Order: sequence, then structure tokens, then C-alpha cells
Amino acid sequence: MNSRRLLPILAGVALVAGALSIQPLRASQEHGTPDPAELEAEKSLGNPSAPIKLIVYDDYECPACGNFYEQTLRPMMDTYVAEGKVYLVHRDFPLLGHKYSRQAARWVNAAARIGKFEAVERALFDNQMAWSEYGSENPQGIMKPFVQSALTPVEFRRVERLMQGCESNDHTELKGCAVDAEIQRDMASGELLPITQTPTFIISYKGKAYPPESGGVAWPLLKQFFDQLLSQK
Amino acid sequence: MSSSTNWSKGRILLLIGRLALAAIFLAAAYGKLSPLTAKQWTLSSLKVTPASLELSMMFFAMQLSSYQMLPAWAVSPIAHSLPWVELSLGILLLTGLGLRYLGIIATLLLALFWAVIIRSYALHLGINCGCFGPNEKLTGWRVLEDGGFFALGLAVTIGAFFYHRRHRVDASAFAQTEVSSS
Repeated sequence: MNSRRLLPILAGVALVAGALSIQPLRASQEHGTPDPAELEAEKSLGNPSAPIKLIVYDDYECPACGNFYEQTLRPMMDTYVAEGKVYLVHRDFPLLGHKYSRQAARWVNAAARIGKFEAVERALFDNQMAWSEYGSENPQGIMKPFVQSALTPVEFRRVERLMQGCESNDHTELKGCAVDAEIQRDMASGELLPITQTPTFIISYKGKAYPPESGGVAWPLLKQFFDQLLSQK
Repeated sequence: MSSSTNWSKGRILLLIGRLALAAIFLAAAYGKLSPLTAKQWTLSSLKVTPASLELSMMFFAMQLSSYQMLPAWAVSPIAHSLPWVELSLGILLLTGLGLRYLGIIATLLLALFWAVIIRSYALHLGINCGCFGPNEKLTGWRVLEDGGFFALGLAVTIGAFFYHRRHRVDASAFAQTEVSSS
């Protein structure tokens, strides 16, 4: 073969090979095990040096968690979290009694890895009745369209790559699922408390932790409690 | 066994029941008013300040709110008054004054608590009880325990009425004997 013809072919082959090698590299970076502190930060909102820290153990399918998110956490995010008074930390605690809760947690953790935790968490809680087994609209655990609606096409493709090996309603840790380790870590920290129900939240003020509290609480009451804490010297 | 022996045994049982009832109310008040950060049931947890009291009662308000029974406007006033009602009842029960009336109030209060606990347990609310302080799971055992407290309150109240009546009968019989002998 003529060397003039061979050179462009070789260059083309090299380019294709290079492009193909970049793709798995990116994927392996996302599939690798990131630092736990980094992951916690990805699932947190607000200023980490805020005086109040609120750790919430949630199950995406539990109706009480949905109410707590919509009625209490949302107004808190818009005000006290935005103003730097509260640092909100989310931890997963999918309960065995809720068929699709683990699967939902997997989607949210995959989104957290690309910095889209808040958007996907909101999408799943806002549409909880549409995908959870307690809903009437489409209770088949189909949450993918809601995740997709919260992300750009590029972001969704990245999340889908992270979800390879994760699309299951199984509550046990899946071997091929990269994000399951994060859920396990959250659950292990919850079991130490021990947590038996969701939502459970722990308030700390300047490093002093208060006893865990379970069940929903109205935002005005939680706000009063925060104001009392903030008024302390 | 003579009736006087039975009577004194009954009075001792009433005394024990009254003291136990007082202890329940005092423990419940302490759990709600003691500082949140301190370990419960230690000497350091008795260091109550106005700020710590306010914080503890607000925490109790959040627990009350989780029962999803009260209108929002009622939660805070009830959370700020109930621990003091429990404390007052506990102290008054210790003195033993007006036991019949205190017994009625205590029994009604315990019946109300029991009903609320049964409802929350049946609805699987998955909340903390808040009965004797924070981080107390609302379990089946708690339902039984509260039932026991209600039974104790009822027994003390019935006992108080019975011994009050018995005392009045004995006193009038003694007065009649005195009158007839003079």
C-alpha cells in the first residue's frame, strides 16, 4: 500500500483508539471510590461552617419523609440554609418495608457524584406519589423519567453510566453497583444511633449534638428551636 | 384476718401507689425540663438555666408536633405548660393532700396519654414518645407501660375514695359511741 494513503488511515485509527480510551477513563473516575467526606459534602446543602448542622436520615419512599421534605426542609433550604445559618446533611436510610426506596437512593447517590444531588432529590420527593408503591398514578417504581427531567441530557448520561449494575429494587448491596457503598455507609452510621424509623434528624449547634428526633416536625417549630439555639452565646 | 389488719395493709398499698404515681409524674417532668445536652439522670443534668429550660420545652414541642394531633397554634402552649402540670401533680401527690381530686386529675391525664400512645402506635407513626425525655422510641412496650400507669392511677383514685369514705364512717361511728357513752 502507498505510504501516502497509509498515513491518514493510521492517523484515523489512532484518533478513534484515543477517543475510546478516554471514555472508560472518565467512567472509571466516576466509578472509583471517592473520599467519604467529599461524598457527604455532595449530599449536603449550605455552608459547612454554619453554626447549626442538621443531619437527616431519609427514605425516599416513606410518605412521612416526603412530607418532612416538602413542608419543613424546603422552606428551611430557602431561608436558613441559604442564609448560612444551617448546614443540611442528607443520609440515606432506605427501609426494607419500602420496595423502591433503595433504588431511589441509588439514583440520588449517582446524581450526587456529578454534583446534582439537590435537583434529583427534589425531583424524586416532588413526584413521590407518582413512582412509589403508595402512589396511585404509576406505582411501579419507575423513577428514571423523574431523574431525567431534573438533569440535562449530558448529565443524565453520566448518571446512567454510574447506575450501571444498580438498576434493581434489591435492598442488599449489589456487587456491581458503585454507589451502593455510599448507601451502606450512611446506613451503618444510622444503625449506630440506632435509627429504626425515618425521617430521623439530629441537630447540632457549634459541635454539640442534641438527641435524635424522629417523625415530622413543622417548620415554624423547628425554626423556633433554631432561633433559640442561635440566640445562645 | 381482721378488718383492721386489712385496712392498714390497704393504707400501705395506697401510700405506695401514691408515691409511685408521684414518681411517674416527677420523672416525666424531669425528662422534659432537664437540659438536652446533659446526660439524663446525672447530677450535672440538674443544672437547669432559663435558656436550657426554654430549649428543652421547644424540643418537647417538636416531639408533640410529630404526633400530628394538635393544631399548630396549640403545640407550643401545651409543650410549655404540660411539664409544669406534671411537676405540680408529682409534688402534690407526694404531700398526699386532696388525694381523691388529684387522683381523678392524674387518672384522666394518664388515660389521655395512653389513648394518644395507642393511636400513634396503631398508625405506625414511627415517632419518639417524648414521655420521659428525648430519644425514646414509641414501642409496644411503651403502650403496655402507659396502660399500667393508667391502671395505677385508677387504683390510687379508687383507693383514695374508698379510704376517705371508710374514714368518715369510722369517725361518725366513733362520734356516736362518744355521744352515747357520755
